[in-house]
Parts: sequence; C-alpha cells; structure tokens
Amino acid sequence: MSIITQAIANADREARYLSRGELNNISYFFQDGQQRLRIASILTNNVQLIVEKGSQRFWQRCSITPSNSGNATFQASCLRDQGWFLRLISYAVVVGDIDPIQASGVKGAKEMYNSLEIPLRNVAECMRCLKEVTLDLLSLEDAAEVAPYFDYLIQGLMP
Amino acid sequence: MQDAITTLINSSDMQGRYLDDTSLENLQSYFRSGDLRARAAMSISANTSKIVTKTVAKALLYTDITGPGGNMYTCRRYAACIRDMEYFFRHATYALLSGDPSLSDERLLTALKETYNSLGVPVGATVRSVQAMKEVVNEMLGADAGREMGVCFDHICSGLG
Repeated sequence: MSIITQAIANADREARYLSRGELNNISYFFQDGQQRLRIASILTNNVQLIVEKGSQRFWQRCSITPSNSGNATFQASCLRDQGWFLRLISYAVVVGDIDPIQASGVKGAKEMYNSLEIPLRNVAECMRCLKEVTLDLLSLEDAAEVAPYFDYLIQGLMP
Repeated sequence: MQDAITTLINSSDMQGRYLDDTSLENLQSYFRSGDLRARAAMSISANTSKIVTKTVAKALLYTDITGPGGNMYTCRRYAACIRDMEYFFRHATYALLSGDPSLSDERLLTALKETYNSLGVPVGATVRSVQAMKEVVNEMLGADAGREMGVCFDHICSGLG
C-alpha cells in the first residue's frame, strides 16, 4: 500500500474525509515523486551492471557458496534472484513503502532458501554487496533514499 | 486497495518486469497532477453538504421521487438517500486522490446494484443524481479537477448501470 491508499483505508474505516495532515503528507509524497521515479529509472537502466558488480563482490567475500561452486544453474539462479530483489527495491522506491519488498521478497524467503539449502547468511551478504554497488552509482541524496529499503531487505533475509 | 502506483507495480511484479518507460511516464504525470488532486480533495471535504444539497436540488427535489409513492418519500428515506450520496461523493474523492477510479470497486460498488435492487431503490434516479453531482463539482472545482472527478463519478455510474 502506498501512503495514499493507507490514508484512504484509515479514513474509510471511520467514514470520513482525509484530514488536512493526511492530505499534506500526500502532497509531499507527490512532490517527491519525480525524484523517486528518477531513482527507479537509474536502477532499471543499470540492472545488469549492478548485478554483475554485486556478484563479483559477493563471490570475493563468500567464495564458498553454491553460486560459486561451478554449477551453472546455481550461478544463473543467483544472478536472477539479485535482479528480482533489485526490481522489488525499485518498486519500493517508487511507491515509497517497504510493501513490495515485504510481500514479494521477504515473506517466505527464509523458508525457501533453507529448503533449497542455500545459506541465508550468504544470501544476506549478497544483498549487502548489491546494496554497496548500487549506492556507489547514486548521488548522496538518492543513496539516502534507497539505502533503507536495502536494509529492510537484508534484515528480512538474516538467519 | 490499489492506487495508480500500486496497480502498476503489482502488474509489473506478476510479469517480473521492471517499471518500463510508459509506466514511469504515467506515474510522472500522476505525481505532477498530485497538487491538483490534493487541493481538490481539500476543498471538497470542506463543502460536502453544500454539494449534496445542490445535487439533490438539481436532480431529485422537484421530481416525483420526493412525493408520496416515490422512493425519497418520508424523511427516513430522504435521509438514507442523502447519506448514500455522501458515500458516493466520499469514495469519488478517494478515487480522485488515488488516481485510479476502480478504487471504488472494492468498498463501494461490489454488490451495490444488487443491494439497491433488493431494497427497491431506483438505480436510474441514482445514476442521474451521480451525474448531477458531477456537474455541481465541475462548477465548483473548475475544469481540470472537475474532469478528474468526472472520471471517478462515471466509473461509479457504470458500476451501477
């Protein structure tokens, strides 16, 4: 849910219009919209680069991990998953909420990786690497906007 | 509940796609219209009862529906009618803010027609009054915001019709 639907759901529960405070918050959200869209398109345009650099950094740090074992399928899945998580981050930036990360990325992720016998500690480390290379690409202001979403994701994947 | 943003995100997520240029452009124009939407919502919430009064005068008051045998006859029914109009109005305002007219589907329009039919509420007159509401709002808010609200009202009408 965005801040808009959240405010609407709250107002509707009480059968009232949105308060001035809620509307002001929504106005700020609209004003920041261009910045968030700009960040999302930077992420979208640089997926390959980010995933490539992120993987290299990850394999340097965690050399003993399924995706670095020489198994092509594992390696491809690792790259694919990084692209997926980055996609969820780009959604979260646009909507200004952790909801997409939580709903599609974090819920059930631990169980899934455990059942696939992929060490969660390494998945979290991989996301940390992804975060670092992403933030390197962005200006300080943009990085400050994106970082919390990565932190939420990493926290959600920690064993 | 979905708005213009989450609708795009959810459908992109189901296809595993990043938000493409068209989606980003759509969102850009939504954000750009944000000031207009928030302002309109603000002036609407300050004037609801006035708008409902004008709407009733325009579409219902001097017709058979308020006389004996009509569906707004007896104050109790009259009150229920203006309460429902306020519902429509409030939900149209929500939809205006969210940039997605189908926001009204979930909480307002689902099974509304069936409810009205079972209560014997004339749907034709309801649609007429929503249309009148559209005109009243258009006069009050000006062309730009009026047009956006018009889309939301039309969606409610098509849900009823």
